[in-house]
Amino acid sequence: MSAISSSVQAASAARPGRVRVLLNYLKRDRLALAAAIFLALLVLAALLGPWLMGDAATKLGLRHRNLAPFDLDAGWLYVLGADTLGRPILPRLVVGASNTLGIAAAAVCTSMLAGGLLGLVAGYTESWYSHVIQRGADIIMSFPSLLLAMIVLYTLGHSVTNLVIVLAITRMPVYLRTARAEVLELRERMFVSAARSMGASSARIVLRHIAPLVVPTLITISAIDFATVILAESALSFLGLGIQPPEFTWGAMVANGRGYLSTAWWIAFWPGLAIMLTTLSLNILSSWARTAADPQQRWRLQKLKKAAR
Amino acid sequence: MLHYLGRRASYSVISILGLLTLVFFLTRLTGDPSALYLPLDSTPEARAAFAHLHGLDQPIYIQFWNYLADLLRLDFGESMRQHRSAMAVALEAFPQTLKLAFVAMLLSLSLAIVVGALAAARPRGLFDRIATVVSLAGASAPDFWVAIVAILVFAVGMGVLPTSGTGGWEFWVMPIFVLMLRPFGLLVQVVRGTMLSSLASPYIKTARAKGLPRRAVVFGHALRNSLLPVITVAGDLATGLVNGAVIVESVFGWPGIGKLMIDSIIQRDFAVVQSTILVTATAIFILNILIDLLYAVLDPRVRY
Amino acid sequence: MNPAGIVSLVSAAILAGAAGPALAQGGNHDVRIVLPEQPANLEPCGSIMTNVGQVLNQNITESLTVIDAKTGKAMPKLATSWEQVDPDTWHFKVRQGVKFHDGAELNAKAVAFSIDRMTGGKLTCNNMAKFGNAKLTVKPLDEYTVEIKSDRPQPILPTLLSVVMVVSPNTPVDKAVNDPIGTGPFKLTTFSPQTVVLDPFPGYWGKKPAVTKATYVWRQESSIRAAMVETGEADLTPSIAIQDASNPKTDFAYLNSETTAIRIDLEQPPLNDVRIRKALNLAIDWDGLSQLFGDDIQRASQMVVPGIIGHDDKLEPWKYDAAQAKKLVAAAKADGVKVDTEIKLIGRNGIYPNGAEAMEAMMTMWQGVGLNVKLVMLDVADWTRYLQKPFPAERGANLVQMMHDNNKGDAAFTIPIFYRSSGQYSTLNDPAVDKEIDTAMAATGQAREDDFKKIFRQMRTEIVPDIPMFHMIGYTRVGKRLDWKPDITTNSEIPLANIQFKN
Repeated sequence: MSAISSSVQAASAARPGRVRVLLNYLKRDRLALAAAIFLALLVLAALLGPWLMGDAATKLGLRHRNLAPFDLDAGWLYVLGADTLGRPILPRLVVGASNTLGIAAAAVCTSMLAGGLLGLVAGYTESWYSHVIQRGADIIMSFPSLLLAMIVLYTLGHSVTNLVIVLAITRMPVYLRTARAEVLELRERMFVSAARSMGASSARIVLRHIAPLVVPTLITISAIDFATVILAESALSFLGLGIQPPEFTWGAMVANGRGYLSTAWWIAFWPGLAIMLTTLSLNILSSWARTAADPQQRWRLQKLKKAAR
Repeated sequence: MLHYLGRRASYSVISILGLLTLVFFLTRLTGDPSALYLPLDSTPEARAAFAHLHGLDQPIYIQFWNYLADLLRLDFGESMRQHRSAMAVALEAFPQTLKLAFVAMLLSLSLAIVVGALAAARPRGLFDRIATVVSLAGASAPDFWVAIVAILVFAVGMGVLPTSGTGGWEFWVMPIFVLMLRPFGLLVQVVRGTMLSSLASPYIKTARAKGLPRRAVVFGHALRNSLLPVITVAGDLATGLVNGAVIVESVFGWPGIGKLMIDSIIQRDFAVVQSTILVTATAIFILNILIDLLYAVLDPRVRY
Repeated sequence: MNPAGIVSLVSAAILAGAAGPALAQGGNHDVRIVLPEQPANLEPCGSIMTNVGQVLNQNITESLTVIDAKTGKAMPKLATSWEQVDPDTWHFKVRQGVKFHDGAELNAKAVAFSIDRMTGGKLTCNNMAKFGNAKLTVKPLDEYTVEIKSDRPQPILPTLLSVVMVVSPNTPVDKAVNDPIGTGPFKLTTFSPQTVVLDPFPGYWGKKPAVTKATYVWRQESSIRAAMVETGEADLTPSIAIQDASNPKTDFAYLNSETTAIRIDLEQPPLNDVRIRKALNLAIDWDGLSQLFGDDIQRASQMVVPGIIGHDDKLEPWKYDAAQAKKLVAAAKADGVKVDTEIKLIGRNGIYPNGAEAMEAMMTMWQGVGLNVKLVMLDVADWTRYLQKPFPAERGANLVQMMHDNNKGDAAFTIPIFYRSSGQYSTLNDPAVDKEIDTAMAATGQAREDDFKKIFRQMRTEIVPDIPMFHMIGYTRVGKRLDWKPDITTNSEIPLANIQFKN
């Protein structure tokens, strides 16, 4: 008896803090670690980039138009080549990170939150507002995003906020419908009827019990949605409805390079690669987070420890 | 079930009418189309004549009333660009996109289920890592980039496929490939995610303990129970394909409804915008009803 | 089957079936042309729009006169001769022995029918834009003579008539058609969302063309169009981007009669001060900017291209002088002009290749000499609000990116709309200038040319109402089978009769 209690005491005394635990999990999964480092660098670039490289990214260099990459004659800033106005691509990637990540994060978070909440409501209740929410989602799905962008920009003007609103609205239905689908299945489970019989209110059941089980799938979707939003902004930029020059995002850089794929491939390639790597990192990290958060799968990230004797 | 279907259908019709009303008023907020149909050096009188000819100089409520009256006679208006029935234009274009979208979704879904399930069976193993990287690279690559590079490589460089256009199976290969990338990438991840959760459940442990072969455990038990979110996302992607095959239609020259919609929106061809939205919305609403029915089929616990 | 098996099966099928895509026909004289855009309709009254005209003009339908590209003068086509009876009236002799595709005869009555259809107002007729507000009355004088009377003097009526497509008298007058019947060497066989097909008309009055069938398709991406000609899937594309024009054996540049410019809003401060307007012209590094458009581009000093009656060959364009620009701005500032007022540079998406980049570059250059310029890129409908009267009341100081096309041989299609107080694009409001323009428009011969030249010079040196940029160059790619070169009219028409075959 005393041996067991003392080992329990020893174990609880030696248990490391939450952050340390997470960092240990991270170290166990090399790829997730690389992804986390990449994202941290990206955030750093987003925060410091405009201050460090702002000038280099916007100065015109008409004589360096479409300069090919890997040619250090023009300076190390031009190592990735130059775009159609002769501006070096590397500083533009660094500076563009802040606009890109900002817009995409804002749009994805907004749509995930709004869509998720509405989906939870729509799935759990059977009342009339559940139907209204669903039909509203159907209407949004049927409304072409280009038309929405055009209407918003025509009536409310060009601004980053309006752009985020447009992107968030068009992405909302998928979160709404996915959340609803999961809730439809979960609300029939035994733990829900158990909670109900113990007198828990609907709100508590939904938020405290059901939502945590819905969130992982939403996060999986949001990681790829990040890329979808960036590319949607790129398509809008191609039509001139995205972010307005001289501001730019990676998506806008990709759109600018569209006509040059066979002649100056680097203009669209590097920002495209940046988008790809960001998506990959987000996805790997979210999948790692999913494993770490799920008590039934956490063992994959834990080290085998000898039990105290 | 029939009662449910009837209710859903009637709600959907109301919603579509609401959508059309919304579209009617909002598109007319985007400016005067005469600028686009007349040469830039037209006189103001010519522009006024154009507006009068197409009823654009009347107050918007009169225009809406006329539109509703026409709808009752199944007259969906005339395309200002093409000088023929707007609905005929939309219905001509829709099957082109439907063909592409259907084949692409079918292929993406089936491949994604197989790949995602196999990846989830051995998480963080070699197959999982490769599948993740490949699917995500495809999902986050700009589709026009993939399309144009594919054309440059396979049509110009190697000469094994035609550059663009419609026709026999060789004209389908590249468009379908490009269309499949994002759905495939996203679905692989979703399948993998839900499968991981399912595979960690106690009943799977039981199945394994019983000695069932891996294939039966993965495909027979775990997969079926993780399909609900997969079907949802697949449905959303399918509807997205109908609207969003624009790039593929533009680059490969398929006269589909995605490109028609974009062109009509840019050109403020109101009647065609309304007709294309009506056609695609009807398809989307029907698809959503089918998906909801599918939930009930797949999971007996889901009741309406 | 496992995934690896599926992959190997599919790739084997691809390679086995690689019998090759549909290639353009060798040996026969069918041509396949790939255009940038689908012609939305084939109404002959809309042939002034590029993608309609390139299919219709001189192929399915023909006009009474055509413009000679080098001299700008009107030459006979369906009209054999003409004379001006009085300032408002012309008589035209109609060619005899010409039949329409449906068997109808070409005569004075048919010509009157076509013109009445265009002016009748029952359908939107874009081609009439060239006539402004003039009212035409057409009367057949005898079987092959037509009298055309206008309500105001028309010194260049034959030139104007080059846009009038003559259609069969059986054409409906109250609606636009997508199956035009004309007198041209080809008739329309198919018009679908994917293609237009023209077959030869055996009863054509003129020389039989070498081309035996023309198929038109359309692809939006320039790189795809270029690739199609390269692989042989198409024989000709009249428009590719400059960066795709990399093969000098197949890619030909041509002056396409478009002039790019920035219009200055003279009524809005600080742009109402001529020093600011001059500074705007001087602040641009024109050599650097021209690199966006390639080596063949020509710097413009006025709003018409060389060859148009009224073009002043001796007029020099503005040179780059940033120091002088800064001095002018400083001088204006010292006199109390608010030089830091925000000036909106209104760009239009897709107006011409590298248009957005050019605007970004120019904005940066203007900011460099101390002006507060902000770029806003708009889509066509939005942009047109700022371009044409009535201008929006809340527009503020603005510069508008624009491009002007004049391939009708005469500056009369340019000067009034840009510089007369009643012109659609004009921000000028000077009665003296109006009088000069009216005099020039009514003049004929050498006096007309000299008057026009004087007006352009005055604009360039004294008034400075705009910033002429470049005379634009188009690039075509021509397949190895064809013997064809573009010229200044290629932007508006591609007569199949001009296409010959090698070997």
